[in-house]
Amino acid sequence: MPDSASSIDEQHARFQALVLPHLDRLLRFAQRRTSSTGDAEDAVQDTCVKAWLSFGDLRDADKARPWLYRILRSVLSDVGEKAERRRQLVDITRLEQAHEELIGGDTDVVFSEVAARLDGEMLARALSLIPEDFATAVELHDIDGFKYHEIAEIAGIPIGTVMSRISRGRRLLAGTIVANRRAWGLGTSDAVRPGARTRLGGERSTP
Amino acid sequence: MSDLHLNFGAQPYERPGDDDAREARHQVLATLLGAFADGELPPETASQIDAHLLGCARCRREVELHASVRARLSREPLQPVSAAFRERIMHELAHKQAPRSVPAAGIVVLTPWWRLTPVHIVSAALIAVAASVVGVQRLRAPERSAAAPAAVVNPSSVPLLTSVLADYRRATAGDLPGRARDLDAVRAAVPFPVQPMRGDGARLLAAWSTDLAGEPAAVLAYRWHDQLVLEYLVAEPVFFRHPSLRAPIAAGDVVTARNGAQGMLAWAAPESGVILVGDVPMTELAALRLGATAR
Repeated sequence: MPDSASSIDEQHARFQALVLPHLDRLLRFAQRRTSSTGDAEDAVQDTCVKAWLSFGDLRDADKARPWLYRILRSVLSDVGEKAERRRQLVDITRLEQAHEELIGGDTDVVFSEVAARLDGEMLARALSLIPEDFATAVELHDIDGFKYHEIAEIAGIPIGTVMSRISRGRRLLAGTIVANRRAWGLGTSDAVRPGARTRLGGERSTP
Repeated sequence: MSDLHLNFGAQPYERPGDDDAREARHQVLATLLGAFADGELPPETASQIDAHLLGCARCRREVELHASVRARLSREPLQPVSAAFRERIMHELAHKQAPRSVPAAGIVVLTPWWRLTPVHIVSAALIAVAASVVGVQRLRAPERSAAAPAAVVNPSSVPLLTSVLADYRRATAGDLPGRARDLDAVRAAVPFPVQPMRGDGARLLAAWSTDLAGEPAAVLAYRWHDQLVLEYLVAEPVFFRHPSLRAPIAAGDVVTARNGAQGMLAWAAPESGVILVGDVPMTELAALRLGATAR
């Protein structure tokens, strides 16, 4: 490890170039898992400090982003974000039933239209209502743009587990949105007509 | 990811209206449709799902659902961090010492099991023992620990585990069916990667392919602490077929099972599922598994 002042300056410059561009995404990820922006910023700051102290271990600059997310998840876990965030988990069976009704054509919800009306706050609420492991996998892929193999690295799980968590996570998320659409004011248009039997995403069900 | 060989069409033994068989196929598909919608499946598997979708409106709706959820989430706006926050971080880092070479918390380095300290081995063993004692109780532990939490299942309730046990008893009743040098032939016979466990104390004795209820499987036999342990590898769709395996694996757990003298330890590997079987204590299987995850 270089120890001269100039070497440390070079390390600093390299670290800034690799890490600072990801601060906004890291903060958004942390904000969805903490009760305040201040807590989220503290978590990201801790992440940056830990990343700096172990910067010598980052062998591949292309893997800086998953490496940072991995550290951030560890920091968040240390501060007990799961317990805080998942205090109000809803009944999984109910969500899966709502999803089954969508897929089975037993409801009259055009899901894509309902989803398009969701604002950011509702979406964050929906994500907070499904189990953390599923929400994280879905968010890392759909919001943060990671590939499955990167999510496997971040979460320390096999890629098959990533696959199942994303699949099930999206189903639970859809079920959450549908189950709460009235409470969130999303059920007042033609897209939601209880009692009728129509389509999801433009196609009618066939047995 | 290697290609998977799947068959999502109506099965010859399936009668019209056989809802259970149809539902079972959809349950298998359910774990793949998200990856299909994301373009994360190998081409051959994607082609087979494409063909299935032509005749299955329900699965088409499922794929559309995945696309809708993903499209909505991808539109989440990204707020730039404030200059003050960026400055705060730079100030904090400026007062920290130079980077050290050892990993910080949160960075997982997979250590070969033969380099693990006795503490690691004992931790894994304790989890396995606890799981075997408390029955169906699930033990939760951080994902980054060397030993995953374990869920206990009854092997007679999972057809795959029943088939593995029967094959294990058949294979170990006489001379082992294969030799270690048959590994390349085994690799050619199954549609997923086959990589033996390595490390001091685990020596590959033989390899062969077999048939588990009509599904191809690779079997690797090891000498482990002077005892025989067989490793069964099966394709992902086979491994994830039964909810008793699927659910705990999805939660990041390993699965343990015992039937008489035989202990079983199962987990998901990239592109396959792994089941260790042996007439050994669960602690031995758990310790051997640490080698498998490090390979």
